[in-house]
Amino acid sequence: MAPFAYGKSVLLAASLAVALPGAAFADKANDTLIYASDSEPENISPYHNNVREGVIIAHHVWETLIHHNLKTGAYEPYLATSWSWVDPTTLDLELRRGVTFQDGSPFTADDVVFTFNYVLTPDAKVVTKQNVDWMTGTEKIDDYKVRIHLKGPFPAALEYLSGPTPIYPAAYFKKVGLDGFAKAPIGTGPYRIVSVENGKAVKMEKSKTYWKGSPIGDPSIGKLEFRVIPDGETRMAELMTGGVDWIWRVPNDQAAQLQAVPNVSVLAAETMRVGFLQFDSAGRSDPNTPMKNPKVRQAISHAIDRKAMVDNLVRGGARVMNSACFIDQVGCTDEGVPRYAYDPAKAKALLAEAGYPNGFDIDLYAYRERDYAEAVIGYLRAIGIRANLQFMKYAALRELSRAGKVPIYFQTWGSFSVADASAFTGVWFKGNEDDMSRDPEVKALLDKADTTIDLDTRKKTYAQALSRIAEKAYLLPLFSYSTNYAFSSDLDFAAQPDELPRFYAAHWK
Amino acid sequence: MTSVSASGAAPLDDVPLRRSPLARMAKRALRHPGFMAGTVVLAVLLLCSLAAPLITAYDPYAQDISRRLLPPVWQAKGTWEHWLGTDKLGRDYFARLLYGGRISLLIGVATVLVSGTIGTALGVAAGFFGGRVDLVIGYIINVRLALPVVLVALAAAALVGSSLNTVIIVLGLLLWDRFAVVARSATQQIAGADFVAAARSIGCSTRLIVLSEVLPNILNPLIVIATLEMAHAILLEAALSFLGLGVQPPLPSWGLMIAEGKQFMFFSPWVITVPGVALVALVLAINLLGDGLRDVTAPENRS
Repeated sequence: MAPFAYGKSVLLAASLAVALPGAAFADKANDTLIYASDSEPENISPYHNNVREGVIIAHHVWETLIHHNLKTGAYEPYLATSWSWVDPTTLDLELRRGVTFQDGSPFTADDVVFTFNYVLTPDAKVVTKQNVDWMTGTEKIDDYKVRIHLKGPFPAALEYLSGPTPIYPAAYFKKVGLDGFAKAPIGTGPYRIVSVENGKAVKMEKSKTYWKGSPIGDPSIGKLEFRVIPDGETRMAELMTGGVDWIWRVPNDQAAQLQAVPNVSVLAAETMRVGFLQFDSAGRSDPNTPMKNPKVRQAISHAIDRKAMVDNLVRGGARVMNSACFIDQVGCTDEGVPRYAYDPAKAKALLAEAGYPNGFDIDLYAYRERDYAEAVIGYLRAIGIRANLQFMKYAALRELSRAGKVPIYFQTWGSFSVADASAFTGVWFKGNEDDMSRDPEVKALLDKADTTIDLDTRKKTYAQALSRIAEKAYLLPLFSYSTNYAFSSDLDFAAQPDELPRFYAAHWK
Repeated sequence: MTSVSASGAAPLDDVPLRRSPLARMAKRALRHPGFMAGTVVLAVLLLCSLAAPLITAYDPYAQDISRRLLPPVWQAKGTWEHWLGTDKLGRDYFARLLYGGRISLLIGVATVLVSGTIGTALGVAAGFFGGRVDLVIGYIINVRLALPVVLVALAAAALVGSSLNTVIIVLGLLLWDRFAVVARSATQQIAGADFVAAARSIGCSTRLIVLSEVLPNILNPLIVIATLEMAHAILLEAALSFLGLGVQPPLPSWGLMIAEGKQFMFFSPWVITVPGVALVALVLAINLLGDGLRDVTAPENRS
């Protein structure tokens, strides 16, 4: 035992020594909060990426028309001061006066009209169309009043307007184009982007022109820096040596031990992110893929012990999910939705019924939490399905999946922090590029649900759609995620259940 | 390396002449500490890997995530049930190690078979025919030597997709240069020998001469190269798997075990230590064996 204990301290010392050069920059003394994460947005423009790191930046640099107060659940004025429904498909909004973009130009109705109409054009190539395609267009009524036309009645409109729909500066964007905007973006938010270094870092500083009285409050920390550090060990070493101040997604095994490290605080919290398996039930990867057979998909659903994964791997506040959405989202329900209990014997029987008594070989694609993907592979192996892990970067995998080349996909989705089921189920089942099953019946049900204002009817229709998804086993929801935040003890940071760290609300102790 | 051969060479000369050449070689081998150590370690590793199902009752793929990351027996909470502990999915680490050894050895042997065939064929052709053939093959060898192995292997694995077969083929196609160089110079020395001329004068075909006169006489240096390249291939596989472009999960491979153990390096270092030690032992054993073989079979040691 002794040599290993010794080896451990040597290892620690070695990694500390390696990490030291970075230590000079981050801390309370020079008012710079450096936060690190594993992925990076391929394009910093919030409409042109769908990674969490991009969403975080979006909420610090840009603002939306409406603010969703998580404490009260109420929608509050933000860039819009008031709004009213003219009819179920027409929304009028009064805009805030005196707000300026970070380049000093005033925020007016033109910016809203431009942003929303631009993201609806095919040329804009918005990554998650679900976020905007409920609108058909926006018109200017006067300089501080706009009217949004909806495709149909959409009960979640305010939720979307308070989340993944930031407002861009029309004149500046038209001048520099998307490429220029991605290099030097500006918004109305509390922080201004100083520099974007692809694959490395995004530096931000407190905006001097930020308006007073914002519902998110006045930011306290002077400078923010987002740093991309793909390797989890390096992130941890950097935190322990003061090279960065904040990290997250710390694996549970390490989080427990990190708690004992001086000057580091650890916080665990459930998030809206749901991990799930998606199958090529449309047979796009191969016309003879076993995934086309519902019995095979049901077999897989019975083969995985989700409870054990939650208890032993995910832990924290994670829960088993039984519906293709996050259970606390509006419209999401698992009542009456068929469930798949862990039952390897039944799984094997189903597999044999489907004509694969000896299983088959298949590729399983994943992009994060390799451990979870490998655990799934282990469960599949127990019923005879020999899955090989193909682990790759998210952007590459997303393109592969959209091209229909992925038979089994271990996916996770954080719904852009939108507390409405349409932000989850709609993305994966409404016939868009990410829809791997392409069932018109599910799409019809979802279309109906998303245009129903009455909450009870909407829930019932959602239950129907979710039941059909579960019955056909198009998608196997696994569990909600829990994330471990670890940060410098100098920092006062509060986690929110929507997986959106709010550094503008953080401050030094 | 030189110290091994120097210390091993001194007492070898007094082997009595009355014994047969093979017996004398065996005697020399027995007195060569490096050779013996390498052979014993390699034999143990080889036997353990091949007889894995007899040694452990555990399935290297059977996971039990409620029993994950159990420490090995020498640590405070270790038990003999899993004496090397369990990995992050609760798979028995000893079983993973044994079956992983199979993968490492398979990659070593298969790669050397592929690269040895290519390299020897090219080298013998260059050395035997000389002239333009030599020029062209010399050029090919230079081209190959100019390619950085790891970089090309990474690119190939990224393009074709990574799997066990890809690793073997890519490494086999890359590691033939030393075979070619050694086979070429050894063949050049032999091509002008009397027995080759004699064979030619009695009308033997070129093919027969190469197969029965040249190859047997250049075999010794080639075997030494084969051991070196085998160790090289095993290390490269570990490197590729470590970078995520080699063997893919759930196959147990030592490089992959090291890569996956990396995240536990801070607080459970044994997860990375165990496969690391095994890898070092295997590569060291093969290298010692190769060095020893060279000393034992080298002509200057024959009295």
